[in-house]
This record gives sequence, structure tokens and C-alpha cells, in this order.
Amino acid sequence: MIELFHVWKQYQKPLWALSDVSLSVKKGEFCFITGPSGSGKSTLIKIMYREVVPTEGQIIIAGKNVLKLPSHRIYTIRRQMGIVFQDFRLLFHKRVFDNVAVALQVLGSPVRDMKRKVFIALRMVNLQNKIWEEAASLSYGEQQRVAIARAIVNNPRILLADEPTGNLDPDLAHEIFGLFREINKQGTTVVLCTHDKELLRRFGGRVLALHEGKLLGREPR
Amino acid sequence: MILRRSRYFVREAARNLWHFKTRHAISLAIICLSFVILGVFLCLSNNLRERARAMAQNLAVVFYLDGNMPAAERLPVEEEIRRSPLVGSVREVAPDEASARFLRDFPDLKEIVLNLGLNPFPPSIEVSLKDPSTPAEAILGFIEGIKRNPAVRDVQFNRDWADKIASLGRIATAIGLFFGGILVLAAFIIISNVIKLIVIARKSEIEILRLVGATNTFIRVPFLLEGTILGAAGGLLSIVLVFGLIRLFPAAAGQTLGALQELIGFRFLTFGQSLALVVGGGFVGFLGSLSSIARFLRI
Repeated sequence: MIELFHVWKQYQKPLWALSDVSLSVKKGEFCFITGPSGSGKSTLIKIMYREVVPTEGQIIIAGKNVLKLPSHRIYTIRRQMGIVFQDFRLLFHKRVFDNVAVALQVLGSPVRDMKRKVFIALRMVNLQNKIWEEAASLSYGEQQRVAIARAIVNNPRILLADEPTGNLDPDLAHEIFGLFREINKQGTTVVLCTHDKELLRRFGGRVLALHEGKLLGREPR
Repeated sequence: MILRRSRYFVREAARNLWHFKTRHAISLAIICLSFVILGVFLCLSNNLRERARAMAQNLAVVFYLDGNMPAAERLPVEEEIRRSPLVGSVREVAPDEASARFLRDFPDLKEIVLNLGLNPFPPSIEVSLKDPSTPAEAILGFIEGIKRNPAVRDVQFNRDWADKIASLGRIATAIGLFFGGILVLAAFIIISNVIKLIVIARKSEIEILRLVGATNTFIRVPFLLEGTILGAAGGLLSIVLVFGLIRLFPAAAGQTLGALQELIGFRFLTFGQSLALVVGGGFVGFLGSLSSIARFLRI
């Protein structure tokens, strides 16, 4: 589902954010990317959704070489993905419904279909009773759940999450990780960045460790 | 699908227009002012051209006669005029009638005339020509022939006036296009900057749209629509204001306009011109948005 071949990334000389990273994530797999701050986790995730273009290397996502896509066609890759961020990236002045529905609006979904899918996604993150509330009025944990609902509402094949629990307390983080597990059980490939070793120990799964831009392999647990 | 998308674009554009209403109100005022100036000069030009056209279609020559000569000596002039094949109608205007007409058209100058103690207007013969397309040479030949009569003191031929008014109309159009053009350029820059500020204010929203797989068109269209609506609304508002000015100005100026009111007539813009102002406003708004998103909306 996701394949990276000898990916290098340099933002400024002489430092390499990523050095010769090659990896493969299979369809339906749950994969953690871990490492200390500045190890290149976010760069790696950004390369996967082509927010960042590597200096060298190749990336194949769902059978497509994303580096060969012209910039105006990047949306074709992103429509197959859901992305969750540490800072939620919600439209705080809008309602929960609007925040989740935006992923369907860009696809031109009919309103009735959109309402049904948004409700199902919110029910999955247990926020169906907050559907008409303004996003700004929710707690951090609820806001992150809205972001997850937005990421899964169009049934993506891949879910990428960059430190999704970085702003949450341990209990909420545990709950959010549980959600990702549930989503993965339904067949979605999940790639999740975190530096929280405690959560890795609790949840298990494949772990790819990065250190100073280099992939170390499976992290000891 | 197209209808759903269109509904979304219109809703987003309307939401932005409302959300940034202060910025939009300022830009709307400037767009409107630009088009009001253009509209006023277009009206003036229309009126002058219309007047020139009417005068050219109703060609008239006025022969001023010597008032000191006895009426019997002036009579051959009128008879000679009537004999010409170029002449349509002939009307004799007595000094009293000329005076009354002047006092009616120029009430502010009434005192000057009355203080003279005598009627300064000579008797005259107003001649309308049969065919408005008569060559100037033929008319001038006819005038020269009549002028040889000693009873004729002066001649006024309104084609000169028609030409002068027509050229005034052209000057008014040129002035309107010059100043209007400068202001339309200012409106373009203002719309471009307003859209730029909105793009910056909505940066995070645009970012989210990109991440959930929105196409470039999907992100850009609401901004283009917003600029177009703003420009067209400015054009429409300017038409309303020009209409108000045309209606209110003569009423406010009252009698002081005198013959000027008759000369100008205060006609409104034609339908085509009104439509051009609205469409032109929309086009300027569209271009302003386009230039802004091309520079600041990197997707």
C-alpha cells in the first residue's frame, strides 16, 4: 500500500532530515513510526501525503508513483487518505458537522449521502450527539475525535496520523489509540507517528524507529 | 453534481462576503465611486451627442435683420428665402418675442435686459432646412446669397453648434474614460488586495481543503466568484447612484440651470451602457481576484 525506496530529504545543507529511508507498509497493516523529536517522523509522514517532496528516492502509494503526479493531480492521492494532526486542524468557527462534511464536499457528495456518512463517522468516534455544536466549544479530546471522523468519513484506504495524541492527556491518548485500532480492524491501513513509548507498549503492532533521519528497524519493546 | 458544486461555491462566496463585510464595504464603495464617475461622464456625453444629433437633424439658419429698417424693406429678404428649394419652413420672430424667449430661458439675466430700457433683440427670420443631409456648401451658398441683402445684419447657422456640441460630447467621453479608467484600475487593485487579505485570513481553511483532496478549481472558484459579485454589485450600485444624480440634480439646481437644462436634458444611460457597467464591474472584480489568487494562493 505504501512503499518508499531510498528516500532522502534535505531542507538545508548539510543536515539530512531523512537519510536513505526505505520501507513498505502492507494493505490493512497498523504501523507506528517512532523516534525522538527531530528524528524525521513528521517529514516522513508529509512525504507520504506529498506535502513535502523528497530530495531523492521514490514513493509508491496505492500503486501510484506520487512523485510523478503533477501538483494539480495530488488530490487524487489525498482522496485515498485520511490525515490526522497533533493540532487537529479544524475549522473552529464551524460546526462539528461542517468540519467532517468538508471531506465529502470536495468529492461533490449529495447532501443526504453526506449527512448519513457524517453521522456514521461521528458515531464511530462517539460524538454523534455533538454534531451541531461549534468545534471551538469542544474539549481537546473531542476535537481530536472530530479530526479523526473527518479523516475516516470517506472510507480512506490509508490513515496517516502525525502525533495525534501529542496534545492529549494519557487517558484520552489511550482512547484515541483505541479508535485507530478500531478503524484498522475495518481494513484501513494506519500509519501513526508518536514518540509515546508507553502507548506503543500498550498497543503493540509494527514499529519503525527513526533516529536522526535514519530508519533503525523494529524498536525493542 | 454541477448544481451541488455551484451551490457550494455561491454559499462559500456569500459567506466570505458576509464574514469580511467591512473590508468588502470599503472596496464596494471605491468600485461604486469609480463607476459613478464613469457613468456621469457617459450620461453627459450621451446628452450632448443626442442634442447635437437633434440639432443636425433639424438644421436651422437664423437671419438677423436690421431693426431700424422699415418692415417693407425687410420683406424682400423673407420672399427670397422662401423661393430657395432648400428651405422647409420660415418663421419671422419679432423683437418682443425674442426678448420674451430670452427672459424665459435665462431668468438670472432678466435684470440686465430690463435695465437697458430698450429691447436689444433685432427682428429675425428662422429658417428650417428641408433636408438635414443637404451638403454644407449648398447651405453656405444659400446663406451668402441672402447675406448680400443690406437688411441682413448677421447670420447664425446651427450646424456649427451641432459640431461644437458633438465634439464636447466626445471630450466628455474621453474625460470619463480617462478618470473612470484610473479609478477602475484602483478598483482592480483594491479588489485584488481584499481577496489577498481573505486568502491570508482563510489560510488554515485552504490548507484543510487541500489535505482532504480538494482540486485547485474547488478552492479557487469561491474567491473568483466573490470578486466578481463584488465588482458587479459595485457597478449596479453605481447605476442606481447615477440615476439618482440625474433625477435629483436638476430638481436641486432648479431654475438656475436655465437654458442649460434644455440643452443637456439630463437623460440617463442607455440599457447597453448600464449593462456594460455591471458586466464591466464583474469583470474587473474577476480579474482582481484572479491576479490575487495567482500570486497568493499557492496550492
